[in-house]
Amino acid sequence: MTASPEFSAVLPTSQVEELVRTLVKAQRAFQMYLPNNPVYHRAREALSAAFTPIWNAADEIVLTVAETDLVWEDAVVYSQLSKPESFAWGLYKDGMRVLSLRRGVEETEIVRFLDVVNRVKLLAADAADDLLTLLWEEDFQHLSYLFAEAGAEGHLPTAEAPPAQPPAAQLVAAVREEVAEEAARPKGTVDIDDFDSTLYFLEPNEERYIRAALEHEYARNVRGDALATLVDVFELREAADAREDIVLALEHLFPSLLNSGDFHNAALLLRELRVALGRAEELAPAHRDRLEALDARLSEPAIVTQLLQALEEGGLEGAEADAAELLRELRPSALEALVTYLPRIPEGTLRRLLLESASRVATQHPAEVLRILKHPEGEAAGGIVELAGRLRLEPAVPGLGEVLRRGSPELRLAAVTALAAIASPGALAHLERALEDAERGVRLAGVRVLGERGYRNALRRVEAVVMGKEVREMDLTEKMAFFEAYGSIAGPAGIEPMRELLEPRGVLRRKVPPQVRACAALALGRIGTPEARGVLELAAGDKDLIVRNAVNNALRGRSE
Amino acid sequence: MSGDTLHGGEAALRHAGREFLLVLYAAYRNLKLYPLENAVVQKALDELQAAATHLLEAEGELEVRLSGDFIFVNQTRLRLELDNYASFSQLLGLLRRLGIGAMRVEPGMGRREWQIVLGVLLAIAARDDEEGDRYVELVERLARTDVTHLTLEPATELDDLEDAARAREVAKRTYAQGVAVTKEVVNGLRIGRVASIKRVKRAVQLIVDQVLNNEVSLLGLTTLRDYDEYTFTHSVNVCIFSVAMGRRFGLAKIQLYDLGLAALLHDIGKVRIPLSILNKAAGLEETEWRTIQNHPWQGVIALFGMRGYDELPARAVLVAHEHHMKTDLSGYPRAIRARALGLYSRIVSVADGFDAATTRRAYQTIPIQPDEVLREMYLNPRRGLDPVIVKGMINLLGIYPAGTCVILDTFEVAVVEGVNPDPMFLNRPLVRLAINADGGPVPAPGIPVSLSDRNGDGFARSIVKVTDPGRYGITPSDYLL
Repeated sequence: MTASPEFSAVLPTSQVEELVRTLVKAQRAFQMYLPNNPVYHRAREALSAAFTPIWNAADEIVLTVAETDLVWEDAVVYSQLSKPESFAWGLYKDGMRVLSLRRGVEETEIVRFLDVVNRVKLLAADAADDLLTLLWEEDFQHLSYLFAEAGAEGHLPTAEAPPAQPPAAQLVAAVREEVAEEAARPKGTVDIDDFDSTLYFLEPNEERYIRAALEHEYARNVRGDALATLVDVFELREAADAREDIVLALEHLFPSLLNSGDFHNAALLLRELRVALGRAEELAPAHRDRLEALDARLSEPAIVTQLLQALEEGGLEGAEADAAELLRELRPSALEALVTYLPRIPEGTLRRLLLESASRVATQHPAEVLRILKHPEGEAAGGIVELAGRLRLEPAVPGLGEVLRRGSPELRLAAVTALAAIASPGALAHLERALEDAERGVRLAGVRVLGERGYRNALRRVEAVVMGKEVREMDLTEKMAFFEAYGSIAGPAGIEPMRELLEPRGVLRRKVPPQVRACAALALGRIGTPEARGVLELAAGDKDLIVRNAVNNALRGRSE
Repeated sequence: MSGDTLHGGEAALRHAGREFLLVLYAAYRNLKLYPLENAVVQKALDELQAAATHLLEAEGELEVRLSGDFIFVNQTRLRLELDNYASFSQLLGLLRRLGIGAMRVEPGMGRREWQIVLGVLLAIAARDDEEGDRYVELVERLARTDVTHLTLEPATELDDLEDAARAREVAKRTYAQGVAVTKEVVNGLRIGRVASIKRVKRAVQLIVDQVLNNEVSLLGLTTLRDYDEYTFTHSVNVCIFSVAMGRRFGLAKIQLYDLGLAALLHDIGKVRIPLSILNKAAGLEETEWRTIQNHPWQGVIALFGMRGYDELPARAVLVAHEHHMKTDLSGYPRAIRARALGLYSRIVSVADGFDAATTRRAYQTIPIQPDEVLREMYLNPRRGLDPVIVKGMINLLGIYPAGTCVILDTFEVAVVEGVNPDPMFLNRPLVRLAINADGGPVPAPGIPVSLSDRNGDGFARSIVKVTDPGRYGITPSDYLL
């Protein structure tokens, strides 16, 4: 087929073919690349340029959409027999039969049009939209289309037949009777003067009123209001079948709320449901259970994990307050998932929100913290130990003690840190166990904490170490830690034992290694009384360099 | 005027076009009210000259064209907005009365030329008689002046008639589809089938398009009364009235869609009311009334059950729930949570109240005349309707809404076809004569007459009273479709 001779004289078919080819290429590019991609950008420019020769010859181009072809002036300007790949079929299958593009379409509308075409490809068959509904929403000014006669269905209702028309004479009489009746009455019942003289125009204040109401209409949380309305109906209507339908609707709705990222309304719904459960009359136990289960479901570990994953992947831009609102609704059962997820999240807004949420639940529900601590082998153990310490959660102390007994070295170390942060007598009592831990790091951390706290109950154990043989097997750092802790805990009572180690006499003189003597000097430094300083001053000229340095450091109040 | 050029494309042209028309009408009105030398008139002429020059410099041309209810400036349709619709409709009425289809202004049009043109327009528009062709006279008088930069084109009556016929056909198809889709949704929900929102959307989009393009033809269809199809036609009628009101209130196209969808589905809760009660012709028992009064909250459940959350028509949920609540919330159903009726609920309440009261249906066997309904809605605060919205409804339908049967002082009986396009005569609608003064029936579609037509010093015909069409064997819709 060829274009009609008069048109093809000014606009060769080849140019229209080129335009359509560019259009189809652009559609694919827009589908595959984001707008900031150079390929997308090039396709957009090429598409805009392809219109130039068209507009030099005409103001409008009208394409007929056949099944797999596009036709212009009787000439096929595009053909792709494979339907899934055919641009024309994409339009045709939803009913488009004619597509008109007018000058100006190349500016922005053609891109929006192709965007709609691409979006339609992703729609499910039973989606609420199709090509026609989406194109309509775009409200194009330079692009129009005709669809297969969608309005052909249905028929006009048949007007009711009036009573049979009376004979003319009777009609005349009836009219005159009514006119006479009217004349006899006071001034006409339908006189315009009876109405407000400004009835036909809104006054400026009324215009403002409508404008404000419209603004309010589009500023309100319409979905939230609809959800609250549903709960309102649930609360007020006692009919079992109505309540059953509402519960069913809510059960379907809630996952969708989360799925669509509407966290604000998910939180709102949970709050409203709690209110309703609190005051709804004659509520069937089954309905109550199901609604409570709905609330509880949000806090199931698997769902919380999904939620956190969605928050992590979706980003929080503009949704921080909504996410925070939903996280505030979490129940104790969410804690395990929260603390499991927390270590994976880098510093930032999301981490802060999760921490706030986990802290709230842990503070309000220490039993849940203890439950998780009972399983030091679990994924959540590290997070919960850290949280307990951060919150100085006294009720968690027994659990942390348990971790200290059964946890991995890393976990035991974390438990020491947590117990140190809590620092209650109970916590410090558990820390004593750390002194005998098989792991050096745990012992070191434990003894330092006990020393810093001057925890006298640990004196016996610390003294046993510093005065015993095992101290000689320790590296210098650990030795120093134990001796300094001893000094801090023992106080003046420790002067004499330390003096004996620093300045051994008799047979002992050769048996006490210089490192131990040096550590004894540090312990005396920690005791810090004049008597202890006196002992140190006597040793200030010791022949052993290590001892001499340690003594001097102790006198200056330094422990290195 | 804002800006020196029309960079910004169509939006800027629309803005400049609107400004031009507003100053054109302001100058015309001021010249009508004040002597030429009055400062107000002089200022208005300056502004008119400036606005026209601005457009001509930026666009190279200035053409104002009428098509149906729309005004185009340089082929761009101007949008009707709340703050200008009164001036627009006045200007539209003036140009129509003078038979002007288009007005082209050439570069060089001077301030004095504008003054002459407006003077001639005023003189011819002020003429009371119907003698001669005003357009021809206008062109002849302008030809005798120094106006050389303005040309006029007459309104093409043939095109108008063809357009009107086409619009009526499209309106009928739109209406029929609306009814068909409503029926499908209602009947489907009754048997537990999932409704196709896509089809509902298409139907509402068609109604919005039709209201935007030619609302008169669609409003005429609302007079169609079919007792058996009441449930469906009522929903479509409420949708049409609501969208048409929304248009008057300056709602954007997508907002009209939201409103239309909510209006179409406002009674969806009735699918959960037993048909035996809904269709009961005899008086309803107290418990049956209460059951019917459940339909707003039943509508909430029905809409929530229709589709997934992403497709939830949330505004429709609220309108379904609130449309009988009244502005002071003293209506039904009762609600616990604090709320204020949304704008769309208030619009739909008015549309619903009007259509229901003017229709014969199962539990209201005698319809009330449309003018009486409007009066009651406007004057009786106990109805709980928003008075500004009711005003908007009167604004839309006139005191005598389409389909009203009236007796004229000529002893003729007529059916109101629509509001007089000249806002000066909104109490003198366009009618179709249905029975002549001798009692002879005039077959549908009747004889079209404007009640603003004059006969010597007075009007040729005036309304004496509204009457019951049934008494005269008239079916109003026969004369309007």
